[in-house]
Amino acid sequence: MTGNPPRLTSDGAACCWIPLFPLRCETARQPELASLPVALVGPDDTRRVWQVSPLARHAGVKPGMTVSQAIGLCPALKLCEPDPVHYDAQFSRLLAALGQVSPVIEPAELGRAYVGTDGLEGIYGGPEKIVEGIKCGMRNAECGIEAGSSLAHSAFRVGWGRGKFVSWVAATRARPGEAVIVRPGDERRFLSAQPLAALPLDADTHRRLRQLGIRTLGALAALPEEAVVSQFGRAGRRLWRLAAGRITEPVVGRVAPEPIVAALTFFSPVAGRELLELALDHLIARALKDPRRSGWRVQVIRARAELEQGASWLAEATLKDPSVERERLLAPLKTQLERSPPAGAVERLVVEFTAFAAGTTELQLFARDAQAAARAGRRRALRTAAQEIKLRLKRSLLYHIIEVQPWSRLPERRYALIDFDT
Amino acid sequence: MRNKTDRLRALNAPHRVAVELDANGQPSGMRDAGCEMRRVEALGEVWRIDEEWWRVPIVRRYREVIVEGGGRMVLFEDLMTGEWFAQKPT
Repeated sequence: MTGNPPRLTSDGAACCWIPLFPLRCETARQPELASLPVALVGPDDTRRVWQVSPLARHAGVKPGMTVSQAIGLCPALKLCEPDPVHYDAQFSRLLAALGQVSPVIEPAELGRAYVGTDGLEGIYGGPEKIVEGIKCGMRNAECGIEAGSSLAHSAFRVGWGRGKFVSWVAATRARPGEAVIVRPGDERRFLSAQPLAALPLDADTHRRLRQLGIRTLGALAALPEEAVVSQFGRAGRRLWRLAAGRITEPVVGRVAPEPIVAALTFFSPVAGRELLELALDHLIARALKDPRRSGWRVQVIRARAELEQGASWLAEATLKDPSVERERLLAPLKTQLERSPPAGAVERLVVEFTAFAAGTTELQLFARDAQAAARAGRRRALRTAAQEIKLRLKRSLLYHIIEVQPWSRLPERRYALIDFDT
Repeated sequence: MRNKTDRLRALNAPHRVAVELDANGQPSGMRDAGCEMRRVEALGEVWRIDEEWWRVPIVRRYREVIVEGGGRMVLFEDLMTGEWFAQKPT
């Protein structure tokens, strides 16, 4: 179990996107919300607004506002508590429906998933037929998201293109219920007219690019690649290549994970945070002992709780450095528990390991996860930083200190600096 | 293409300094290139090394000193050339 698990990939991609997915799940459950200005409060911060319906947006409510600001702007605003377990279940249905169309499905976020389209021509025909096949596959799954909707009025948008980025940008340009198809060879032309916001930019980079007078992907791609790299480093290179249509990021199918689940039903509902932390710790320990976990480190951990009065709570964490150490797995869940505790007393608590990374021989034999992972993490971080410096400044300014003649009586002969090779 | 030894840089390489001596031949002041003369406030340990007499002999007399302001450093006189150098104390 030391090798990487096999992966399904596809360069051809169809991005399926339902904007405001959680909000649509709520309006599907409570159709009367459709005619009201609605906002969902954040699952991480219940003092702030997370998603906003078009009517609420029209009244000036924006995501990220505090609840009091939002109500001040729109007194008729209907606030909804988030139900992440429900949204997750609905999204899983959507993914399962897409899985009927193609074996290569990559979820990106709630409401957005990529479908690998390589090889589907033989089944469906050209891109239009493939898109039609995706839409047909979606019809049933979407009933739970858009009650009573027909596909003509659906919020479901499809972008078709080569690589995930092109297909995502195409999906953002599609009208509700429709598709935008970017044919092979047309990528650069299509991308060049798109606004800068289509790129995965942080606010600072976006601001800097706009200050440089760059408004479209075409304008960015017209700059010399090295100039962009010298300003924005490694991230700049990726942005430039995305804008120029030089990167084709394939859709990577999910290797069907076999989640390891440990659950605990309380005799009487529990509201105390310390007790919940203790229960999470206990469940993590139990799940780690599962023999299927052997040889694998945990990458994604999820805790969900069933609350009194039918509500739910969900916390999920993706570990940068996969681990099998209890404390490291517990820490992000504890943080989320502190930041956004369940809205009520917990009746049942479940811990799931949903994604794994192959463990190294060393980890399996000696179980030195904590130290080995920490060392590896530090080395990796240092290597990345050194590469970034070298890329920007064209030379390495980081050095190792090495022993040359530590026994020498001449101090200058004992140690030396050597370039930090990356 | 540089090889690995080309990329080595000595750590704590000595640098040349100008040294004023008192009547006893002990350092009473020192000046780094481009800096002002600093008074030596205290003298510490003294030691001598004789190395590589079979090749190019290296003969140095070291003196640990405290300069004005409290800085501690090591000065040595190259007894083959009469030049003075400073190094960080180890």
